[in-house]
Amino acid sequence: MAGDMKKTGFVYDERFLQHVTFSTHPESPGRLRVIVEGLAASGLLQKLIPIEVRRADQRWIEMVHNIRYMMRLEEACIMGMPDIDHQDNSICRDTYDIAFLAVGGVLNAIDAVMTGDIDNAFCAVRPPGHHAEVDRAMGFCYFNNVAIGAKYLKKRWGVQRIGIIDFDVHHGNGTQHIFEQDPTVFYYSIHEHPSFAYPGTGREFETGIGEGLGYTLNSPILPGRGDDEYKKMIMQDLVPAFKKFQPEVILLSAGFDAHVTDLMSGTNLSTEGYDFITEVILNLANKFAGGRVISVLEGGYNYPVLALLVENHIRMMTGVR
Amino acid sequence: MFVCERMAKKLITVQPDTKLSDVSQLMTQHNIRHLPVVNGEGLLVGIVSDRDMRSALPSSLLGKEAYERALERVMTHRAEEIMTINPLTISVYYTIQDTLLMMRQKRVGAFPVIDENGYLKGILSTRDLLSSLANVMGIGEPGTLLCILAREERGQLKKIVDIVTEEKILLGSVLVSRTWDVNKKAVFPYLLTNNVARVKQRLLDADFQLFDPMQWYLDNVSKNPHLLL
Repeated sequence: MAGDMKKTGFVYDERFLQHVTFSTHPESPGRLRVIVEGLAASGLLQKLIPIEVRRADQRWIEMVHNIRYMMRLEEACIMGMPDIDHQDNSICRDTYDIAFLAVGGVLNAIDAVMTGDIDNAFCAVRPPGHHAEVDRAMGFCYFNNVAIGAKYLKKRWGVQRIGIIDFDVHHGNGTQHIFEQDPTVFYYSIHEHPSFAYPGTGREFETGIGEGLGYTLNSPILPGRGDDEYKKMIMQDLVPAFKKFQPEVILLSAGFDAHVTDLMSGTNLSTEGYDFITEVILNLANKFAGGRVISVLEGGYNYPVLALLVENHIRMMTGVR
Repeated sequence: MFVCERMAKKLITVQPDTKLSDVSQLMTQHNIRHLPVVNGEGLLVGIVSDRDMRSALPSSLLGKEAYERALERVMTHRAEEIMTINPLTISVYYTIQDTLLMMRQKRVGAFPVIDENGYLKGILSTRDLLSSLANVMGIGEPGTLLCILAREERGQLKKIVDIVTEEKILLGSVLVSRTWDVNKKAVFPYLLTNNVARVKQRLLDADFQLFDPMQWYLDNVSKNPHLLL
């Protein structure tokens, strides 16, 4: 029904392709290219509302990241260093500036959702963010886009309960650590079990610290498991937790690397399994958050599958099947 | 791998005539279960464990008043009255392997570490052993564990390490374990990276088998039905 159609924003900027990693690096500009080409070919792109990308004001990034780390990153880029903090974190001269744009894109999407101009948004940004810690780059991530978004929602928009759902196959260590003492931000992550998968955190007994106890929840999935286990954990862990927490806005760390064909992980989630996750999240958002979802791209490394999964995800966000 | 790098060196000790009230307080305050007892010359003469302490305490089934009266009396006794005299010790030159085997055989929770003259240099508990295990596995650092099934023949481990090295990936650890399959071994390299897709593809191309915990379990169960019990 046309009446069910949502106004879905889409954050993308060709400058995101200028963050160039070394030639065999899985987190490559090609990821965004296949996403956009796929959306254009299917006709979905034309139905989305383009969100302009601005360079984020540094003060918002400083709400999460340590200034000394930001200076280190800037310097490493200017000096032409090949990576920062670990060889996984491949950089080029433009990485620092592009990372500012990625954050800015997410913040613009948040503004558009909060003003009511759009209902929800998908941010096809690079570099990704959920591994980035306060003071170091990790796992292809430099600035924690989603964490900065959550701080921005609190400070700029006065939101009091923010729910983050991270379905990237890797645990979002950065986001968890940033909010584990904060009862106003609920961090839920479902990911491949940390005994097997990077970065080795996100066990079920990590449930927050101090005032934040009970506002972090992790559902580890053993390698070899797929849809059944994902469905079970989502229904058993995520749904009751969010019913209780009642988030006003939901931020997604949307990673598409848990798919059975993605060699970056050992989990076997199917295309339909991803649809199920998106559907449950959108239902939660409609029920508690007035439909306000800002979905931010994290991982996903099998090009054609990534394009398909992102398309399905966005199509469901628009409310048209 | 060496006891001297893993033992607790900041020692909390008591004297033979230390009152049990002080012994008890030290254990609670520092959250430890073993207190070495040293004499005036600094020589080790015994060890008091939380179990020694507990058996010295009055029964918790006594009424509150009777319990407290008894407790008060117990607490005036001295460490030397309940300590284990001449406890099993290990030398600063021991390896973690020695300690592991000895702990398993003797069923004790901690060993005082002494030098050749009998002076106390440290203490090594099961908790320290657990930390050294985590250290050996390299799991303090972010990384990815691969589960590889390799044929039991010479050169297999080299092939795996070569592929990992060619992909310029650092190794946190490599554990090798026997499988139920007599001519196969399980190899668990812990790679200090998030970037594992290429390495996995190359291992598959080289005819290695990647497996997951469910396969491992079901495989074992089918060959050893008693595991289900």
